[in-house]
Amino acid sequence: MFSPYRVLDLTTERGLLCAQILGDLGADVIKVEPPGGSPVRRLAPFYQDVADPNRSIYWWAYNRNKRSITLNLKTDDGRELFHRLAARSHFLIESDNPGYLATLRLGYPDLAAHNHQLIYVSITPFGQDGPKASYADSDLIILAAGGPLLLGGDEDRPPLRVSVPQAYLHASADAAAGALIAHHERQRSGQGQHVDVSAQQSVTIATQANNLAYRLRADEARRMSGGVKLGSLRVPLVWRAMDGYVTLGFLFGRQLGLFSQRLMNYLHELGVCDAATRDKDWIGYGGLLLSGREPMAEYERVVALIAEFVASRTKAELFDAALERGLLIAPITTMNEVLESPQLQARHYFQELEHPELERSFPYPGPFAKFSETPLTYRRRPPLVGEHNREIFCGELGLGEDRLADLARKGII
Amino acid sequence: MLPLDDVKVVDFMWALAGPGTTRTLADYGATVVRIESANRVDGARTVGPFIDNKPANDGSGLFGTYNAGKLGLALDLNKPQARETVLDLVRWADVVCESFSPKAMRAWRLDYESLRKVKPDLIMLSSCLMGQSGPTSKFVGFGNMAAALAGFYHLCAWPDRPPSGPFGAYTDYIAPRFGAISVLAALDYRRRTGKGQYIDQSQAESALHFLTPALLSSAANGQTEQGVGNADPNYAPHGVYPSLGDDRWIAITCKTDEHWQSLCTAMGRSDLASHGDFATLAARQQNPGELDKIIGEWSRGLTAQTAEVRLQQMGVPASVVQDSNDVSRDPQLAARGYLAEIVHPVCGNTVVEGSRFRLSRTPAIAARPAPTVGGDNQYVLKSILGYDQDRITELVAAGVIE
Repeated sequence: MFSPYRVLDLTTERGLLCAQILGDLGADVIKVEPPGGSPVRRLAPFYQDVADPNRSIYWWAYNRNKRSITLNLKTDDGRELFHRLAARSHFLIESDNPGYLATLRLGYPDLAAHNHQLIYVSITPFGQDGPKASYADSDLIILAAGGPLLLGGDEDRPPLRVSVPQAYLHASADAAAGALIAHHERQRSGQGQHVDVSAQQSVTIATQANNLAYRLRADEARRMSGGVKLGSLRVPLVWRAMDGYVTLGFLFGRQLGLFSQRLMNYLHELGVCDAATRDKDWIGYGGLLLSGREPMAEYERVVALIAEFVASRTKAELFDAALERGLLIAPITTMNEVLESPQLQARHYFQELEHPELERSFPYPGPFAKFSETPLTYRRRPPLVGEHNREIFCGELGLGEDRLADLARKGII
Repeated sequence: MLPLDDVKVVDFMWALAGPGTTRTLADYGATVVRIESANRVDGARTVGPFIDNKPANDGSGLFGTYNAGKLGLALDLNKPQARETVLDLVRWADVVCESFSPKAMRAWRLDYESLRKVKPDLIMLSSCLMGQSGPTSKFVGFGNMAAALAGFYHLCAWPDRPPSGPFGAYTDYIAPRFGAISVLAALDYRRRTGKGQYIDQSQAESALHFLTPALLSSAANGQTEQGVGNADPNYAPHGVYPSLGDDRWIAITCKTDEHWQSLCTAMGRSDLASHGDFATLAARQQNPGELDKIIGEWSRGLTAQTAEVRLQQMGVPASVVQDSNDVSRDPQLAARGYLAEIVHPVCGNTVVEGSRFRLSRTPAIAARPAPTVGGDNQYVLKSILGYDQDRITELVAAGVIE
């Protein structure tokens, strides 16, 4: 779908997903690495725990559908070659600290002077300017600064993040959307532009607008072990089943209360609760509790009934009941269970990519959406360091073998 | 001119994952007509934070943010005449988006096959939790459930505790980006080829792209990945430490030995900088408990703000774990226009979140309020569809327009 377009990817872990999304759409993505390989290749986890630049699973995760060249952009020769590539590219994605590429004369104005159609995407911790633009960062720091971190975890422990870094994935996905909006506009104006993404701002989405609470004079949600605190109401969301955990929403209100009504009907049929409990006003129940017309102890009694029921069933039994009865229950699923999910298998989700040098293939998470006319394809496994140097420098830029050898000797590629 | 001001969208989406997609398109100029039923309003209107803590159709900051900049048409889709109006809108539109469970659009005969008969080059995005096919496609739930099914809950956990889970409907934060990307890519393909298409988005499948390292690692190394608290395989210390005040915290990451040495200086513990138990990453990873204790003893005597400034001045990654109050006053977010002041026809002066990224030459439109239920009925029917007043009166009398 995006095969007419070329993308130069200069990013680290801050932006790899952005270029991969464009590659999944069909674009020709060239990953530009420093000689010796991207620093991301040193990030764990590693295949069979062997630390090797071509075995970083973190690298694999966000570099399929890309070709790799190495190029030392700190040298004049390296920059000259890079300019030649940029002159024939449609997108450039970078994630260096603000101002760094400008010191190499590779900032947006430098490249736009040669290619005014170029869309130049910058993914940085806090954005290109502002009082914190030069702050030092990490996934955890960005999640703290943007708001979502405080909301996760157990109330008797520090706030908790997801064990797979998330912040720059949010930023990279925003960056891809921004790049495509700029691309749409370029069809009309013939002009590129600079897309500026702040990871801090991108992760604000993961507060579910709770960040607005202060300005709206509303209660803030607070973290709670396996649930959330809304004012004085403790809402459990993680429940222990016979063989693991499920999430179950026992919630109230015009829409969510309908699920609770169905759950209580079901529990009554099973003899878990009496008719009086079943027939409570589950739509208006939140209001009854907050006004004190229904004692909190009664709510806690019902929660205990549900907990006892959940603990007596397996995750699969509970999910089957959810599907059959329209209940808000889903199993808390491990990575191995995701890999074996009948749903994902029925949709042929995972895509096996062959890594010939390891004589193995691995199941990559499949296309982010199914397109009827232009199905997304996984054409290339993540590249080895500089795997496409010859193909691109000789085949496309017309360098001779001698020149290639010379560049390698000088440490430029 | 705004980048997407030539894009016209009919939006049947509800809750968060769907409307987030069309919010992005609206920010950059797309005309988005949001169809909602007055009998069964969007559930996002019933979820807080609410202005002054008062639940009301137009008082939800969540609904307000996800739907800013759209037009509201209230239509009872269960009335047979409603279909004619929908088909007129589809003829006008480039894109139809919907996020019901798979059978709903078919039941109204508004599925892709039916709609492309009136609009052959239509682009249609269907977004639901599990996708349009498969044994659990009919599962109805929210992003919390998809987050559990995709593995986010399992991987947001302390090693010695039941899973905690990320806050809220986590996959609803991810799916909208992929939804917008899909629509924009399909528009480009249509421009070049004249062909529309159907896009089937499983929100869980999109979201799994945010867990790829754990999935690949489980598959390649044969052991399932577990939640590890705030630990990180590449950095130590890497954690959240107590600060002065109630539920106040400072997040700190040492990515390099230099960061660690600077942290030691800041803590007045230069003796630890080259101490054998802590000098290298490998050594620090062996002593996480001791490390946390030392840092916590120092941090609890300072405000989080003081610790952040002191550490950042030395180049150490650190941030206050910001709450809603902090975020509202954060000078960096303010400089980027994170919170957009708007005037809502019912609520008056209020705020929504602005576009999360910046385009240098064609920035996002200043946010406009989310529609009230049916707030743009007249505009949509008259100015977009060209209906005359008699026809509108008829539709209102028949209860089609609400």
